[in-house]
Amino acid sequence: MTRIVEIPTSFDDRAMDHYAAAFGSWPAGERLLFDARGTTWVSPYGFVAMLTAAQAVTEARGERPILYLPASEDVRRYWARAGFLRHAAELFEVHGKVPRAASGSSDTLLEVTPVRGSDDVHEVVGRVQEGASRILLEVGLEAKATIGFTMALSEACQNIVEHAGTTGWVAVQAYDWRRRLGTRVVVIAVSDAGIGFRRSLEPTQARRFGDRWSDATALEAAWIQNVSRFRDPGRGQGLAGIKRYLGRWDGKITIRSGTARLANVPAWDREDVPMTEQLPFFPGAQVQVILPALAPK
Amino acid sequence: MIQTIRLGHLLREAVTTPYRNLVTRPTGAAVRGRIERALAESGCRTALLDFSDVDLLDLSCADEIVAKLLLLSAPRPDRYVVLWGLRDDQVEAIDHVLGRQQLAVAALAAEAAVLDVLGAVDGDARAAFGCVAERGPVSAGAVAEGLAWAEGRARAALDMLAARRLVRVAGGAFHPLLVA
Repeated sequence: MTRIVEIPTSFDDRAMDHYAAAFGSWPAGERLLFDARGTTWVSPYGFVAMLTAAQAVTEARGERPILYLPASEDVRRYWARAGFLRHAAELFEVHGKVPRAASGSSDTLLEVTPVRGSDDVHEVVGRVQEGASRILLEVGLEAKATIGFTMALSEACQNIVEHAGTTGWVAVQAYDWRRRLGTRVVVIAVSDAGIGFRRSLEPTQARRFGDRWSDATALEAAWIQNVSRFRDPGRGQGLAGIKRYLGRWDGKITIRSGTARLANVPAWDREDVPMTEQLPFFPGAQVQVILPALAPK
Repeated sequence: MIQTIRLGHLLREAVTTPYRNLVTRPTGAAVRGRIERALAESGCRTALLDFSDVDLLDLSCADEIVAKLLLLSAPRPDRYVVLWGLRDDQVEAIDHVLGRQQLAVAALAAEAAVLDVLGAVDGDARAAFGCVAERGPVSAGAVAEGLAWAEGRARAALDMLAARRLVRVAGGAFHPLLVA
């Protein structure tokens, strides 16, 4: 039996719940077929979410999932330039014409990159830093904001290394959101197929919350109270630092883990809500940071 | 005697990366281990931790290096630690992680002429620290006069700074930590 997971036509964080619902239960009891033939656009969040699902299947010793590539050659080329196809080939049985590897597009600040350990975080931070002048010029971020952005990226990647119990993925892209926000934005997407916030914090926090303990309360504990699974008083700095940075530069973060999604909603976003519960389950944790180049009107 | 410990050099020893970024907890722990060894082998009274050849310092690494150095491996009572050559973003990162844990350290930022204190100290201690840093060795009475305080208030603030090894007491006066 094969379960078809239709990749949304336009796959970003807003399409995530629709995507997650297509899996049914986890771990998937059937072979999965990711059908992206009709897909025309994927954000960094979409790329890392696809790899995360395939990784979760692999780690659960499920059958290697199938991936039907987009019908559009332009879209396939973009997927290659974003670095997605190189990693997809390791996790999926890929069907469709794979374009030759090409150098990254001008909007790609960091190709889809695995995060397996501390060395990878050094590499990710170093590569983004090398491109910092591009971020400054093309996106219009201030120099100080770029340093904070790189720090936030480092802390977000370290959450995988420190808490997920497995490896993960990161990608960074710049977008023109002139119509939506009147400015350009930088988007960081980080995802892992690990144990998620609830299981990570359960040993130290579940008793405190009692019957209220859930994916949502675990996210609140991590984000609002800066708690960590480690009892060390210096822990919890990563998310605290990201929060401080986003507050200063009017950025947005969403964290989805299990069946809940937390968002800090800046004034420029009139659609999102701080907490959503009872979502379709998805393994691990998915973090997205959006940073506007200029304070939006 | 002052011992200068170049963090960029320790980073290159600890991690095989072409970059000059102090990021991640394992990197911070490895660098701190090297700092602790250098401190143990030195007879100098003051150790300058030189950040001038470091680019990014993230919060996790700042916690592992500076906060844990102060918490877990406090040097002998006659030993002092000063951070040196910090950029604004590094000052912010260290101030943030120390503040959360009620720790403090003396620091000289890259463009600064006098020492500052980073982390958690109250307003009186911060003002007294500034007075000592600017004027050099001073008595509690001189600090009280300079800040228009009662002497008891100045002494309490200075004793707190001395207990946290942010100033040095010698010959009845409070001395700023030496950086050169």
